[in-house]
Amino acid sequence: MIPLLIAHNTFREATRDRVVAGVVVAGLALLALTQAASPLALGEGGRLTVDLGLSGISILGLLVILLAGTSLVAKEVERRTIYNLLARPITRPAYLVGKWAGLSAALWAVAGVLGLALWGLLALRGLAGHGPAVIEGVYLAGLELTVVTALAVMFSALSTPVLSALYTLGFYVVGQWSDDLRLFAARSPKGLGTVLAGIANLVPNLPLFNMRTLAADGHTTSALHLGLATGYAAVYAACVLCLATAAFESRDFK
Amino acid sequence: MAVRARDLSKHYVHPWTLRVTRGLEGLDLDVRRGEVLGLLGPNGAGKTTTLKLLTGLLKPTRGNAWLMGEPVESTAARRSLGFLPEQPYFYDYLNGVEYLELAGQLSGLPSATARARARHWLGRVGLGERPRLVLRKYSKGMLQRLGLAAALVHEPGLLILDEPMSGLDPFGRRDVRDLITEQRERGVTVLFSSHILPDVEMLCDRVAIVIGGRLTRVATVGELVAGGSQAVEIRCAPGAVLEIPSHWAGRVTRTQRADESIFRVEDEAQLAEVLGWLLRAKVQVRAVTPQRPTLETLFMAAAEAERQRRTA
Repeated sequence: MIPLLIAHNTFREATRDRVVAGVVVAGLALLALTQAASPLALGEGGRLTVDLGLSGISILGLLVILLAGTSLVAKEVERRTIYNLLARPITRPAYLVGKWAGLSAALWAVAGVLGLALWGLLALRGLAGHGPAVIEGVYLAGLELTVVTALAVMFSALSTPVLSALYTLGFYVVGQWSDDLRLFAARSPKGLGTVLAGIANLVPNLPLFNMRTLAADGHTTSALHLGLATGYAAVYAACVLCLATAAFESRDFK
Repeated sequence: MAVRARDLSKHYVHPWTLRVTRGLEGLDLDVRRGEVLGLLGPNGAGKTTTLKLLTGLLKPTRGNAWLMGEPVESTAARRSLGFLPEQPYFYDYLNGVEYLELAGQLSGLPSATARARARHWLGRVGLGERPRLVLRKYSKGMLQRLGLAAALVHEPGLLILDEPMSGLDPFGRRDVRDLITEQRERGVTVLFSSHILPDVEMLCDRVAIVIGGRLTRVATVGELVAGGSQAVEIRCAPGAVLEIPSHWAGRVTRTQRADESIFRVEDEAQLAEVLGWLLRAKVQVRAVTPQRPTLETLFMAAAEAERQRRTA
């Protein structure tokens, strides 16, 4: 009940924030731009639309996380609004889970709106058959944003907004290259290889949530991939939130 | 007991220099159910630290505390707690009703009850005329009132208020005083910190004085101001200027005003002697007023004593 109340309020905060509205407008503008650029794609206009549309959801979602998510808890501590919450019968883990769930829900809503616009655009281009692939692509993008939100909430609970943004961005970038990092670790000398493999396992495996190339061709992915990605996102986000609550539990609010 | 603290201490360690600052040292405090206790102390004395330890916002370095019999670390302790932090801030994207509704629900009220109580308390603190005004447009005084409403919306059995009169105009202060009095009549226990001594004097059953992170005294206002010799002021009609006998030097002083002469007798035991002297000199005595020491005087004396203790 309490995490739901906090999640509802965080969702309300995010959706009343101009950043989210701006991101939706930017996403729609990006989709419109793909149509302007389509003639230059030499018959690959549909592919370009899907690719840029799904990339746009990921990148714009990341932008929301960096602008709003990384200050989610830090801002509450700085403005002392957190005093009015934690002096009530609320556990600190419930507070953090609520914050994460609320922002994740807002990001799913953004992904949903942009995904719907992308589907509509494809239908106008006579590519309505790409629908299932787009739905799966948006679903995986939503999972990716959910995982990155958990990282942002953790860093926000422990650090300043600027440092949280830097840490989150760092994890996102390295996470995008985690497959390459694992490959590189396998070919490196033992000591370095172990360190690199450790980093690759520590950061989120974000390529797991990328099916843009498949979706651009109108192909769907397997149920196993979707299931694995869902399970991985749930476990990774849970671990990150557990770490966050362990550190947040002993924090003083001076 | 509504509040119990035993050896409650908070030390802060600077992360770089490792220098230890003692925010609060060995606080033993009991607040009885239904009483109003005022926490007095200068800036940095440890009042806010005490209140934050009691509300779970700070973790104690040593010692324990209980609210309504429950250890402060448990959420059960905060179920019947209403807390107003110093200079409260709220979600500025919400309006007054939305905020109070959220506060009520977070304190365990069902949604419909929270909605009804939100409207009731917004009106009760004088903000009911514009329930949909977003909080970013609230003045400091309005935020303070909203903070009080948020502390009261779930009608708790224990109120902890950090400087509740801060930022309020005289009307606002009077309203807060009335609210606290009303809560006391309902049987609510109130623990509040304040710098405004007349308010403390007016509202509190007992006063706790915290200086330099230590609780120096807990007593009723009456006990605090009682004891010791009491000064007396004698107001007389203007007339011939009398020379105060030299053997009363320092014990009897005179202030001459255009419309009256005021004699201050430091020890009431000497009153009859001074009065006899005035009457023999045919001075017209208008009033004899015992000078009760104010809480402010006692508070300043306690602060000075603590300063001297530290210096020694």
